Amino acid sequence: MKRPTVLLIDDEPIVGQRLKGTLEKLGCEVDVFQDPGKALDRIREKGFDIIVTDVMMPDVNGIQILEAAKAVNADAKVIIITGFATSDLARECMEKGAFDMIAKPFKPSDLRSMVVRAATEMGFTDIQER
Amino acid sequence: MWFFNSTPTHDERDDLLGRPSFNFRLQIILGFFTFFILSVVITIGAMLTISRIERKIETVSTWERFLYNIEQARRWEKNYFLYGTNLDDALESTANAQAILNENLHYLEQMSIPWPKEELMRDLALYQSSLKMLAPISLQEFNTADGRMAVEADLRRYGAQVVTEAAALAAKEHELIAKWLNIVQKVPVYFLIFLFFLMIYVARFLSLRFMQPLKQLVQHTQRIAKGDFTPVKPARKYRDEFTTVEVAINRMLRELESRQNSLIESHKLRAVGILTAGVAHELNNPLNNIMLSAHSLLEEYDELSKDEHTEMITDIIQETDRSRAIVHNLLDFTRENKSVMQPLDLSLLLNETAKLAFNQARVRGVAIQLDIEPELPAIRGDRQQLKQVFLNLVLNALDAVNKGGRIQLKARKQPNHRIIVEVEDNGCGIPPEVLPNIFDPFFTTKPVGKGTGLGLSVSHGIISNHGGRIEVASEQGRYSRFTVTLPWGATQTAATSDQRQPQEGAS
Ligand SMILES: Nc1ncnc2c1ncn2[C@@H]1O[C@H](COP(=O)(O)OP(=O)(O)OP(=O)(O)O)[C@@H](O)[C@H]1O
Ligand SMILES: [Mg+2]
Repeated sequence: MKRPTVLLIDDEPIVGQRLKGTLEKLGCEVDVFQDPGKALDRIREKGFDIIVTDVMMPDVNGIQILEAAKAVNADAKVIIITGFATSDLARECMEKGAFDMIAKPFKPSDLRSMVVRAATEMGFTDIQER
Repeated sequence: MWFFNSTPTHDERDDLLGRPSFNFRLQIILGFFTFFILSVVITIGAMLTISRIERKIETVSTWERFLYNIEQARRWEKNYFLYGTNLDDALESTANAQAILNENLHYLEQMSIPWPKEELMRDLALYQSSLKMLAPISLQEFNTADGRMAVEADLRRYGAQVVTEAAALAAKEHELIAKWLNIVQKVPVYFLIFLFFLMIYVARFLSLRFMQPLKQLVQHTQRIAKGDFTPVKPARKYRDEFTTVEVAINRMLRELESRQNSLIESHKLRAVGILTAGVAHELNNPLNNIMLSAHSLLEEYDELSKDEHTEMITDIIQETDRSRAIVHNLLDFTRENKSVMQPLDLSLLLNETAKLAFNQARVRGVAIQLDIEPELPAIRGDRQQLKQVFLNLVLNALDAVNKGGRIQLKARKQPNHRIIVEVEDNGCGIPPEVLPNIFDPFFTTKPVGKGTGLGLSVSHGIISNHGGRIEVASEQGRYSRFTVTLPWGATQTAATSDQRQPQEGAS
């Protein structure tokens, strides 16, 4: 049984630390990056099924990650985390094909259900919340 | 009469009005009064001298009449000796002379120069008696008589003496008249010369007294125009008409200052409004960390080790601290404070300012670089207001750059007690034709709702009030650089204007 690969990018280390385990429990294969530049390289190296990225980070922002991920794999589901969502940003993300957006601060369960939804859409059947 | 119902006692007003009054009206009246007194003295002096000369002339004419009669007598006397005639005439003339002398004796004693009254009277009397001695003697007898010689000698001697004395007196009186006339002629000339110099002095004095305060007023208006609202302090010893103007200026200054302060305050709140997106971002990061950690604890409490519990709780505490710091930094800037001048660590202040704008810059994809020389000396200033200035400059720079732009915040020490802070961006730059206007209030090139055009004007006012300068250099399409020069140490005490404020624990 193939497990969905998830890439989690946020320059806040705690985000990765707290979410990695909970996403793995869903049955995902999770990679965590703090440095969005390195994450970009990783995306180009290996396409991910689901990418969860913060939008505002130094040097490389979430929109660039979104574009890169879509370029590598048009089917990839990208979930954008925002600190302060403006309608402009929301429109841009949706136009560029983001799967969904989630605003900080959020609960782990919020993200989990979003990932489950994404995985289900991609055809992974045994991913679900317990 | 002054009414200051709007404000309680103000030291500067007391200073201005606490001086003794010596106004220009009084000065002018005093000047003219001095002129008048002088003229009166000169005129009275001239009148007195002239009347004395008049009386002198009378004295002289008396002496001359006396002299004339004596000389007449002497001529008759000569005739008598030559032809034996005219003795009666000689006696008559002598009597005339005697009469003149007797009539005017009192007058002459008072008016004439000191004269040998006894001698003259004696000589005249002797002359007269000698003449009288001739009368009973016929000429034949007389011609042969021995006594003739003696009488003739007496006559000659006393006659000559009287003539000489009278002539000398007349001549002396003449001399005196000439002298006084001379004085009467010269005094007005001297007076004119004196008056000339006096007038030059008075004119200079008065114009100086007018010009000096006028010049000071001009200087005051110039510094006020630059945003320095220090009240006018008394510069002269006395209160005068200009004091009215100065008191009015001070009242205007208090008005201006309070208006400036409310302008600064409202513009600050605007800047805070602009910062909200950045602040929300910044605040939501630690909140999210807290949320995730707390939920993880809740969901997986039993599965986690004790160390992991501790780690998560520590994270929660740290992130709470972080949130508090963010809120504190913003509130510290926003809080409405009484303007207080205090020693400031400029490096810390610039760091806090950058922090305020940092996330805003990140939202827009702009990098803010700090380049602050270590160990900058402390400067005296109002923390909030200076933060506001640098924030205004950074926000302007943010508006000017595109995504990927760069803003540099530099600070370094300069010789002669100055610190320079530069805010440079590589944005759109400022067109040369608007460059002279950007510090004007309400000048903006931004659309309505985006810019009020007060940022630079308010900043300029604040920096002026700190005794500093703010300058701009820009090239269109390439860069803009705003340079703030602030004094520190010795130069600053004189330049800044916080004397009104009681210093709160500042040292
Ligand atoms: N760094 C800069 N680069 C380019 N232009 C600038 C820069 N700083 C200021 N300006 C120009 O100067 C004008 C006046 O600036 P100022 O800060 O006084 O007002 P504003 O920014 O338009 O409005 P506000 O500050 O109230 O938001 C701006 O409208 C802009 O045209
Ligand atoms: Mg501005």
